[in-house]
Amino acid sequence: MAEFSGHLSLRAAARADGHTVLAGQSFRAPYHLSKPYWDTEARALLVQVVNPTAGILAGDRLESAIAVGKGAALVVTTPSASRVFQMKGGRAESLQHFKVTDGGWLEVMPEPLVPHRGSHFRQSTRIEIEAGGGLFFADLLMPGRVAHGEAWEWEKLCIDIEVRLGGELILRERFAQTGPELRALAELAGSGPAACFGNAVLVAGEDHEGAEWRKAVAALHGDGLWIGVSPLRRGGWSIKLVAADGMRLRRGLRDARQILAREFPRLACDARKL
Amino acid sequence: MTSVRATGTEPRRRRRKPVGRTREPATPGPASSGPGETSASFAWICGLLQAGDSFYPTGSYAHSFGLEGLAQEGVVHDRATLRTFLLLSVLPALRHVDLPLAAHAWRALEQPDWNRVGEICRLSSALKTAREARAAAENIGRQRAELLAGLRLDSRAQEYLRHAAKENWPFSPSVSAALEGRGLGAPLEAVLAAVAYAALASLLSAAMKLLRLGQNGSQSLLTEALSAVPAMITAAQAVPFEDIGWFNPWLDIAAARHETADGRLFIS
Repeated sequence: MAEFSGHLSLRAAARADGHTVLAGQSFRAPYHLSKPYWDTEARALLVQVVNPTAGILAGDRLESAIAVGKGAALVVTTPSASRVFQMKGGRAESLQHFKVTDGGWLEVMPEPLVPHRGSHFRQSTRIEIEAGGGLFFADLLMPGRVAHGEAWEWEKLCIDIEVRLGGELILRERFAQTGPELRALAELAGSGPAACFGNAVLVAGEDHEGAEWRKAVAALHGDGLWIGVSPLRRGGWSIKLVAADGMRLRRGLRDARQILAREFPRLACDARKL
Repeated sequence: MTSVRATGTEPRRRRRKPVGRTREPATPGPASSGPGETSASFAWICGLLQAGDSFYPTGSYAHSFGLEGLAQEGVVHDRATLRTFLLLSVLPALRHVDLPLAAHAWRALEQPDWNRVGEICRLSSALKTAREARAAAENIGRQRAELLAGLRLDSRAQEYLRHAAKENWPFSPSVSAALEGRGLGAPLEAVLAAVAYAALASLLSAAMKLLRLGQNGSQSLLTEALSAVPAMITAAQAVPFEDIGWFNPWLDIAAARHETADGRLFIS
């Protein structure tokens, strides 16, 4: 079976007319890039990163680097869930590095990660934002192939994220629980056998107090959805979601994003438009 | 000549000490030497007991460390669910976050390496995404460091406070515990045990105010949780700096929602 050393590099820049363009791009399988779409309403360039293979397999090492320049706005999505397949030896990893310059905006909102039974995967995300830059990053995790009765059966899973704002560490998270540990926590919280997770980070400057939108997002809590918003050390917010199933999770994130878009207009971009 | 009647209340005359047969009482402080050396080598125990006691004014009594949020969500509502929470969430957080942070801080404070200490402080703060949890940790960390500097006139703690003020470091209870350990001359394992004990005892103390939980019920939970601590201490010492981190999504969400709760007993 082929092992991929995938590579994706994108550099978004603002043209003189204010539109964002990809000033630099390079990629190697299993990454592929769709044709970008300029969203006139949100004034952001929407790009879909496609993995034309079945998913992530043992030995895959995926590296992505996305940089957004001053005045540019980029939204990066994927068209479908990333399935991490069973590995009978070896492991896979994805290293993501995002940089946002002062005055730039980056949204990264891929479809969920679905770790299959016996998979061994690590995703490591490093985000650097200059003071004055903005970001919305949302990571979704399914417990497995729930429709097949398979949940929480990965061999090893580690998802870590580090966010620096103006060079200062403002967030570090490491999600490395075993499947049985998460299943037991979900049971304790009453989130059911197919609980899904969403972990979002919003960095949008110090001048958004957030009282109104925080209240509205907090009101989404209930009916199978847990959602909480809390300010980070400075300049941003952590938004966490847990839902009883994937549909509820997506709906919760969509609703939260719509509320946020009233305060942060770049989030009005319909990430599923392509 | 005045004679004095011997009474039972009269102070007894001290016998002269046979030289070389008894030791002086242990004197407090980490740097004792001479005749009291053996006893003084255990003096750190008293210091750690003092710092870990609920009588020590760290302010931890005002925090539930997220438990009240989970109780408000109906997740933790009795002894059984509290026990599950302890085993599934509190112990792993100690194992993957608080104890490794304290271990790294204890090592960094030996010389000390202040840049590294600052890095640990910032990491300690960045690992807590819920504001209340972060503020609780920073307030308790600050208070412990200031107490150490003030009560024991610990020069390392005083220097730490100067660095923290100058470089705007967030305070960390794990770093303060390591400072206490270094100041008292306590071994790393003892410092980590004290961190674990303080965390568990504080949480269970809060639980007694939130739940129908008696003294014996909480002590039996504490005993069970403490039985896991020695293995955790061993494991935590081997956690690389870049692997420090762990979180319970439900706890973080409950803590975030607690910030705007209509009513509450605890600050966090």
